Amino acid sequence: MNERDDLDMLVAEFVLGTLPKEERDALQARRAREPELEALIQQWEARLAGMLDGVEPVEPGPELFARIQRTIDQKTDQHYAAPEARSAAPDNVVSLRKQLTRWRWSTAIASAAALVLVAVLATQPEPDPQAQSFVAVFQHNDEQPAFLLTVDLTSRQLNIQPVTAEPQPDKSYQLWMVAEEYGPNPRSVGVIGENFTLDQAALRDYDPETLRGATFGISLEPKGGSPTGQPTGPAIHGFLYPTSADQGKGRN
Amino acid sequence: MYSDSHQPDASPGASDYLSADHEGSSGITRLLHRVAQQDRKAFAELYEATAPKLLATVLRILKDRTWADDVIHDTYVKVWHKANQFDAERSSPITWLAAIARHGAIDELRRHPARRETASDELDSIADHSPTAHEQISDQQTVKHLNHCIDQLEKDRQDMVRLAYLNGWSRDQLAKHFDQPINTVKTWLHRALKQIKRCLEP
Repeated sequence: MNERDDLDMLVAEFVLGTLPKEERDALQARRAREPELEALIQQWEARLAGMLDGVEPVEPGPELFARIQRTIDQKTDQHYAAPEARSAAPDNVVSLRKQLTRWRWSTAIASAAALVLVAVLATQPEPDPQAQSFVAVFQHNDEQPAFLLTVDLTSRQLNIQPVTAEPQPDKSYQLWMVAEEYGPNPRSVGVIGENFTLDQAALRDYDPETLRGATFGISLEPKGGSPTGQPTGPAIHGFLYPTSADQGKGRN
Repeated sequence: MYSDSHQPDASPGASDYLSADHEGSSGITRLLHRVAQQDRKAFAELYEATAPKLLATVLRILKDRTWADDVIHDTYVKVWHKANQFDAERSSPITWLAAIARHGAIDELRRHPARRETASDELDSIADHSPTAHEQISDQQTVKHLNHCIDQLEKDRQDMVRLAYLNGWSRDQLAKHFDQPINTVKTWLHRALKQIKRCLEP
């Protein structure tokens, strides 16, 4: 058997799927820089693909494509936001990180120290100084935001939207707030209902300035909300962030 | 003479894409070209047209819906970013897409082999093909030709090839199931693949 045959069999088994893991990984690493290898792979893919004809299609669930789109959106945002974030909004990002470092969410949050908050900055073409809309992003990890919270400070209306968060059986999500004025312990803003609804006016009794400096958290609690009045489950937290970059600069 | 015993059943939509000169295939090619231009509408159409086939392909290998969903997620994120690498001269679009999904599933399976329990009915599932759906499909020459070539193999080797390709079986699993040393399995697979290649040559 000559070298050419060896390579052809290596590729054939790769496409068939039986190549042992190490050889398989090595071959995949090579294909991007070896056009001849890539061509052999394509030939074997074409030879064997007919076997898939017998596979009866399975309809994907309705949520899957939305999830794919969110991942793409996020990657696109990162792609475009990275250079701009450095030039247009460095102060905001620094300020956000400072707030997070400063942030203490009693003992409940300590166990969730690995959770990361990433703000998505929505910019307006012409920032209206009167606009008092703020957004917080609650993030499970550095992949995808779990919730989006928007708060209009003027009307003190809030709106919470799940992004990747999904209803948990026999559990409720609960929204919390920590503000200096109210001491170190989180205060419950409300239990997020089924279908992710929350009283839009839940913040009406708070001063806009208090809300502006507050940090918000969402924890997973027993159904109906925390039995203790404090977060008992794993928490994810977010900081209110103005939807206009100019407003943010005023915060520093 | 083709034997019909291994002619798999398929929906018309799924089979359209397998042959490069069929209208369904050129439709998918056009969509892929638009996706390469970051056209989200085309991406949604591409997903709608191809995801059921890809999900079925992946599900057959992983046997776990959540796991399969994750692979399909990663597949289409890849497709969005790599659609510009699709070369219609070298590959049919559904073959290109299915390869991304299939290899994603096999990579997952090799990384976490314990996550999937071997189902005992797998041999049944590869043999249980109904030819009826095929009669409606006009262009099935490629599929027929491959099935014909596989059917020329000895029965054990036919099953090996299909279990590996469709169900993601490793050499180890094949060796256990067919009660042969791994090197024998490797030799059989190589012979089978060479025979298929020769048989498919014009």
